[in-house]
Amino acid sequence: MKARIIAVAVAVLVFVPAAYSAGKTTHGARKTKTQTTIVIYASGDVNVQNLWQNNIIPHFEKENPGIYVKFVFSPHGADDGTTLARIGAAVKGRHWPGIDLVDAGLVTTLALDGLDQPVSKATAPNIKKVNPALLTPVKGAAIPYRGSSVVLAYNSNYVKTPPKTLADLLAWIKANPGKFTYNSPNTGGSGYSFAETVVDSFISAADLKQMDNGYVPNLESDWNQGLQALHGLTKYVYQGVYPNGNAATLQLLAQGQIWIAPVWSDQSLSALASGQLGPNIKLTQISNPSFTGGAAYLGVPKTARHKKVLYRFVNYILSPEAQQMIVNVMSGFPAIDIKYMGSAIQQKFEDVSANTLRPTFSTKMGNDFKAQWQQTVP
Amino acid sequence: MVLPPVAVVAVFIGFPVGAAIAYTLGKTGGPNSTIALIAQRQHVAKHGVTFAAYREVLGNAHVRGDLWATVWVTLLTIAAVVVLSWAIGLYVRLSDTWIARTVSALSVIPLFIPVVIASYAILTFYAAQGFIKTLAYHVGWHSFPTLGYTMWAVVIGEVWVNVPFGVLMMSSGLNSVPNALIEAARDSGASLPQTIRAVLLPMNVIPTVIVATFTGIYVLGSFTVPYLTGPSAPNLMGVSMSQFFQSFNQPQQAEVMAMIVFVLAAGLGTIYVWANMRAAKRASQTS
Repeated sequence: MKARIIAVAVAVLVFVPAAYSAGKTTHGARKTKTQTTIVIYASGDVNVQNLWQNNIIPHFEKENPGIYVKFVFSPHGADDGTTLARIGAAVKGRHWPGIDLVDAGLVTTLALDGLDQPVSKATAPNIKKVNPALLTPVKGAAIPYRGSSVVLAYNSNYVKTPPKTLADLLAWIKANPGKFTYNSPNTGGSGYSFAETVVDSFISAADLKQMDNGYVPNLESDWNQGLQALHGLTKYVYQGVYPNGNAATLQLLAQGQIWIAPVWSDQSLSALASGQLGPNIKLTQISNPSFTGGAAYLGVPKTARHKKVLYRFVNYILSPEAQQMIVNVMSGFPAIDIKYMGSAIQQKFEDVSANTLRPTFSTKMGNDFKAQWQQTVP
Repeated sequence: MVLPPVAVVAVFIGFPVGAAIAYTLGKTGGPNSTIALIAQRQHVAKHGVTFAAYREVLGNAHVRGDLWATVWVTLLTIAAVVVLSWAIGLYVRLSDTWIARTVSALSVIPLFIPVVIASYAILTFYAAQGFIKTLAYHVGWHSFPTLGYTMWAVVIGEVWVNVPFGVLMMSSGLNSVPNALIEAARDSGASLPQTIRAVLLPMNVIPTVIVATFTGIYVLGSFTVPYLTGPSAPNLMGVSMSQFFQSFNQPQQAEVMAMIVFVLAAGLGTIYVWANMRAAKRASQTS
């Protein structure tokens, strides 16, 4: 009896997967005859996954029969390092890296190291609708497709009149010890933006422009004054600790342990919508200088396949229709000029878009900045 | 028969380690060319080798601070794990009650809980509004320290993660001591502490050395516990290394730090090998 059960179990274990994979191969073979498959790799939080998986990709596939978009997602960019090495090695060896389009922080590195294919107006006409200033820091080799900016979140139960300028904010932090913190710059963009904004306030506009657009290590001594100012804040921040990750700051804010913090606009708007942040949390922007914002970039590795189809996809992402999804689904900023969007969007972003997408340091300057912050501030 | 495993070790371990050592010495060609294309602030040797990357990393006061923190957290964790697992192992060996069995079963539970979950749990448990501090407040101890985001939380986490392995090793080591030896000692009038010192301790040296060295090697290279529960700075080398590698885009410096940790771990490994060889020698002498 026992032997019989084992025999049946073995038979099931062997034949079911075999039959399944056989069915799959014939199915796949039929598919490849009529379909072109492009592979997109994205990293980030679930809001990014939702944008691609449930919105942009299904709509594009519906409008373009015969094109199949394969979606590879890396939560929190856990696979970014390996993906960067993989694309770097493949492009150097002139192979297909297995990925045709990348949406991750590593895109700027790819662009600056000449591993990306520049996309021009001829290949994706909608790129002319994008603010050309966003293309300078990536040498035109990456495509900005959405923006988000850092804003100041505050608990309105305790903070009746939020600070309006950076100087006000710094004064508030010192007047309310333990009620403010920001995440360490190497673990998330919102804390990074606060640190950079403080440092920027001590730098001349000309030097700042060079730092935004290129790699100028000899200007890094400009940071000293700002880093010292940040170091002076350590005794006023919550427990003298800079939590790891954007979400950690939001959590402290939601628990009421801190009353003010810099947060990503899209992340906090989503958290407010889902109830993770209560209605007592309000968002505002400071001025003089404002927090930095940034564009998320798409990159096409030089050895990507099916480039013609790929550019059609890129062009679709930059169309007002897809940009509308970015606004609706993840509360992001459109990357294309708002004059191409509907009037509702134009009104929504009229006040903010002028000053919120203040450019940030170029990637390599940013890496050095994170290193110096880690060594001087905590 | 020996060749395939040797080849696997050579290809998957020997080659990458060799390439990494070459990279830390400034060799950026061959297998290191892809990473060298992307990296920032690297030291390149045009001829021969350069120790500039080692000089930079060891000259950095913050890295030295991290290194020092790593060493004391490691030593403290080793001491705590050895003492705790000895105590539990001994209790289970000498007392055959349901309490003893429950204690030994409970002490192994952390083995089945993912380290990430455990780290978050430890952080919230010892946080400013966590259970421990709330309890201390209610019993009137208002100045109880907040352990979350401190090195103490890291030590607690590391001990928590390593105790199950220690208990398993110690109890199996102590169980292999024949009852006859313990009874003989007790019959000749030895007190319990004397029996432990003269019989159980010498018979259980190797498991103790294994627990101490393996715990040490684990803590030296750990990342999740210090990353989630530790302070912003200084922190353990594992956290610092990953910052240099990912956030600062300085893989060469990160690999130099890996070499330093490797040397420390190799030192612990040497103790383990020495203890094993000594035991083998003793065994061959007595038999």
